[in-house]
Amino acid sequence: MIELQGVTKIFPNGVRALNNINLTIKPGDFVFLVGPSGAGKSTFLRMLFREDKPTEGKIFIDGKDITAMPDSRIPYLRRNLGIVLQDFQLLKRRTVAENVAFGLRVIGASESVINNRVQEALEQVGLSHKRKMYPTELSGGEQQRVCIARAIVNNPLILVTDEPTGNLDPMISQEIMQLFLKINARGTTVIMATHNHNLVNKLRKRVLALVEGQIVKDEECGTYAYE
Amino acid sequence: MSLSNFKFFLVEALTNLRKSGVMSFITISTIGIALIMMGTFLLATMNMEGFLSQMQSEALVTAYLKKTADTDSANTLSLRLTSMDEVEKIQVVTPEQAAKELFSDPNEQQLLQIGITAEENPLPTTLRIKVRNGANLSNLLDKLKNEPLIDTFSYGEELYRQFEGLSRLLWITSLVVIILLGLASLFIVYNTVRLTLFMRREEIIIMKLVGATNWFVRGPFIVEGLIQGVFASTLAVFVLFLTYNFVLTKLAELIPFFTADVNLDQLVKLAIKLFMMGVVLGVSGSLISLRDINKFSRSTALYEGV
Repeated sequence: MIELQGVTKIFPNGVRALNNINLTIKPGDFVFLVGPSGAGKSTFLRMLFREDKPTEGKIFIDGKDITAMPDSRIPYLRRNLGIVLQDFQLLKRRTVAENVAFGLRVIGASESVINNRVQEALEQVGLSHKRKMYPTELSGGEQQRVCIARAIVNNPLILVTDEPTGNLDPMISQEIMQLFLKINARGTTVIMATHNHNLVNKLRKRVLALVEGQIVKDEECGTYAYE
Repeated sequence: MSLSNFKFFLVEALTNLRKSGVMSFITISTIGIALIMMGTFLLATMNMEGFLSQMQSEALVTAYLKKTADTDSANTLSLRLTSMDEVEKIQVVTPEQAAKELFSDPNEQQLLQIGITAEENPLPTTLRIKVRNGANLSNLLDKLKNEPLIDTFSYGEELYRQFEGLSRLLWITSLVVIILLGLASLFIVYNTVRLTLFMRREEIIIMKLVGATNWFVRGPFIVEGLIQGVFASTLAVFVLFLTYNFVLTKLAELIPFFTADVNLDQLVKLAIKLFMMGVVLGVSGSLISLRDINKFSRSTALYEGV
């Protein structure tokens, strides 16, 4: 479970990115985070994987206050999270399989565990036949699927994703969304920041709308509209 | 650190060394040259020390006994001193023998003019003490000072002191050179790693995002520094010893009866020292450079806007 208590983030330049956010996300939820550019969506997500700390307030993940967590514990927090960003973030000099394996390598998994889990993750995203290819040889949609495979290879409790379909055409975006739904169906909590009206309106999941750092809407089976 | 982690670090380090070949070459050469210079100074110091110790061991201390000492007491003292660890053998020179030696030496004619004749012999009984090879000369001198029968003694102290001063100077110079070259090498390694960190920033960000600890991120860079240090020191030892051997051979041709004062055991120790220095330079350069790894691993750059 994720719980935010009075979370406020003020940047050194005085910009108030988040303003007194209070909310709870239950395990297995699928949450869309919507709002205009600059509303604080990315800041919100960044707080969840402790890339940033709130100026005020607390964030609990699975009962642990991650805002009070020492820096040395952050890697262990992130091993329970899957993170997928907009611009694919793949290592170009590594093959698809090596990119996916990266998440397991850093935690010191054995070679046999890595091989099995990478194969499973690639099968889930439908790319096991391209495991030896390099990211530059793949399409945008395929690259994003590799990122998703890397994010789920650790069987994370929570998947945090920022505009995963931002650079993709509608058809590919649908495919990617199907993948997230499949991952969510296995019990993984998915929190997705997006500008994609169609997907949000079609899927009717919980929608959190952020405007100027404040939650202006929190709706189960919601739609994109926030104004 | 698990075996799979180490394997990963090693593969990463070797890949990076290969990919940034020119930079690796510059780093290895710089550490190598610094180590060669350090080694040269160390070798020079070692040779000087060897020479000094040889001087000490071959030293002949001449102890002049008081006028009251007769031949019997000189012999008794000689026997007692011979039993000391520092003493190899002692020759008792009576005033008569000393005078004979003086007469046979035409350079001593001046002394004769100031009162020494065959009839009137003011020369004291002397003991010529041959110091045992490798013994501590200053220990022996201390003991001799406490002997009541001994008036004064001489052992070529002026020359010895000069060499000792030179040796000390060489040591201090070596130390300064080692520190300066060490710092220069550290700086080069530091910069190389910094540059590599910047080039591999994206990779580091991703590593951190998927849960790598700071030490895991540092691992390949440390192994890289270690490999560079090992390469550099091997190169340095190889070049240094070949040159040393060449110089010794040339000197032996030029100077008859020339022998080096450094033995194989000392050379092996020097090689180990240089090897350790190379490794320490490579690894510590990387470590200093990696102390603020978090600066390179924040994913803020991956986001646009707030």
